[in-house]
Amino acid sequence: MIAPALASALVQAASPYVGHGFPPHWGWSIVLYFFLGGLSAGTYFIATLLLLAGDPRDRETVHLGYLLSFPLLLVCAPLLIVDLGVPLRFWHMLVASERVPALLFKPWSPISLGIWILTLFGLFSSAAYIWTLVETGRLRWAPAVRAAAWARTRPRPLMLAWNAAGMFFGFGLAGYTGVLVSATSFPVWHNARLLGALFLASAISTSYALLMLLLFRRDPGGVRSTLGKLARADRFSIALELMLVALLLVILGRAARPLVSGGFGVLFWLGVVGVGLLLPLTLRWKAVQGWAEHRRELIAAVCVLAGGLLLRFVVVMSPQFPAVSLWAL
Amino acid sequence: MAKGFYTDTTVCIGCKACQAACHQWNELPALNDGVVELTGDSYDNTGRLSAVDWRHVRFIEQIPEDRSQEGFLKGSRWLMMSDVCKHCVRAGCLEVCPTGAIIRTEFDSVYIQQDVCNGCRACVPACPFGVVDIGADGKAHKCTLCYDRMQHGMEPACAQACPTDSIRFGDVLELRALADQRVADLRAAGVPAYVYGKEEIVGGLNCFFLLVDEPEVYGLPSQPRLPSEYVAEGLTFSALTAAAVTVGSVVAFRKERMDGMGGDDGDPAATVPVSPAGTPAPGALPGRDAVAFMHAIHGANEASRSRRPAAPDPTAVEGACGSGGCGGACGCHA
Repeated sequence: MIAPALASALVQAASPYVGHGFPPHWGWSIVLYFFLGGLSAGTYFIATLLLLAGDPRDRETVHLGYLLSFPLLLVCAPLLIVDLGVPLRFWHMLVASERVPALLFKPWSPISLGIWILTLFGLFSSAAYIWTLVETGRLRWAPAVRAAAWARTRPRPLMLAWNAAGMFFGFGLAGYTGVLVSATSFPVWHNARLLGALFLASAISTSYALLMLLLFRRDPGGVRSTLGKLARADRFSIALELMLVALLLVILGRAARPLVSGGFGVLFWLGVVGVGLLLPLTLRWKAVQGWAEHRRELIAAVCVLAGGLLLRFVVVMSPQFPAVSLWAL
Repeated sequence: MAKGFYTDTTVCIGCKACQAACHQWNELPALNDGVVELTGDSYDNTGRLSAVDWRHVRFIEQIPEDRSQEGFLKGSRWLMMSDVCKHCVRAGCLEVCPTGAIIRTEFDSVYIQQDVCNGCRACVPACPFGVVDIGADGKAHKCTLCYDRMQHGMEPACAQACPTDSIRFGDVLELRALADQRVADLRAAGVPAYVYGKEEIVGGLNCFFLLVDEPEVYGLPSQPRLPSEYVAEGLTFSALTAAAVTVGSVVAFRKERMDGMGGDDGDPAATVPVSPAGTPAPGALPGRDAVAFMHAIHGANEASRSRRPAAPDPTAVEGACGSGGCGGACGCHA
């Protein structure tokens, strides 16, 4: 399936689709949602994977990931609601408003798919948040403590299934936003069929960076072994992201113009590719004369986060406002 | 039975009666609150289909650069076309609408329910024709095919107002037959006419057009694309990336241990699989280095505890293992 898909994409790249659709005027709130939603999903994924495949020394990072995921998700909801033309009707995406309480789910519409992913991921993310609060002694409310104790005694296969489902919805949240953007008849976006994959890789990578940044601030010594793991894993996801960016540009061909030329092009090449991907990869790979490892990692993490935000900014804005000077936005 | 429009551009005289009738019947406000901004583009002052213009008459002036060659009006052409929502058989706007506001009516037209739409704007870039637009009320608007009139057996206002029958309303199949006949007549007269909106255009357009030039000349895409075209593919690539990221991360998490295998610097204790709730799987603790493991964990726990403001941990029996992360393996609260 993949080979013919890529082949047809390459044929199209030679003669790009010129859409006649109008821009939806998706702006900063959507860009921020794409970024923060990715971080929420990514921190949950990393925490869960460390729980399952790490060792007890990673426990502090597991807790940190879970403590970040749910609050980040909570920020996403108002960002999405404020963006609506009629914000108080946000629930129309979940419930068929003229047939209450019938639920509304259109899996072929990425927004509908995404809103359910967001809702279900909220269940897993909030449960992990409460579990962490109890585990770390921050929450001593009896029902929560009892629930955590009950969860602890569930059979291992059940717990594995729960965590796998949580990661599944987390991946959904990290990736569906890219699919949403390509589910349009709009130039650049329509043919960007790797955008879901790219956003997903970027979400995971930025989450590694965020966790490392916070762990360093906390205590660079105590979590040394975990930091090593995160750095190695992030190196892999950055490399994957770099590959996906290259593949996306090949598939887009001439249609990629708004993305890679003009003011947005500068942001794309210098910001997304240079600062966001190549620089952190180099910093993690090679020692810099006179720089402590600590400092290199910190700078790399900040670069990855900035690059992730810029990637979403350029992808969302450049096809919509090709003629607009960047400074006017 | 599907109802729609057949717009024959060869008999359009650009009177804009359709636009006016549409405004009047649907009580549409004037564009830009009535402040007229001349586009400077022929007789066109509304520019495009929008939330307040559900019909839009295009004026396409085709005049050669050097007019002296041909004589007055020779070699030049003035094309006019009354554009409208196409009420596509496979409608992009309807596909992506997450609220169910956009529905297919009993007349097979595509209708936006104003009491349901919440203004997410997904339909705007989803329409390959640039029809759907957001109004001042934040909701999506477009031609309703005069759904209210049709329910009372009346034809849409624009079709009724059209003085040259450039806009005809009726059963799509009957209209198609009419259009095919007209194309044949025009071709016999040497005019390269054709129908835009047969099945190859997003499954067919219930509101189709008879054109005499390339679709792009009229501002129509010759190969419109549906938004759902790459959704399945996009999700598949995302799933593959998710798998790659998971495998890559697990390898990265365990590399230390894999490198250490066979050597002395490895930490076999780290292989203890920890269940999500924090208890080691029964019998999984390797006997070989369990004591070293206990010491290491105990030390780490002491360190984390000393950094954290003291808070009694309800889950730890003895409290020595602050986070409970040892899962009882440290032995300090056995």
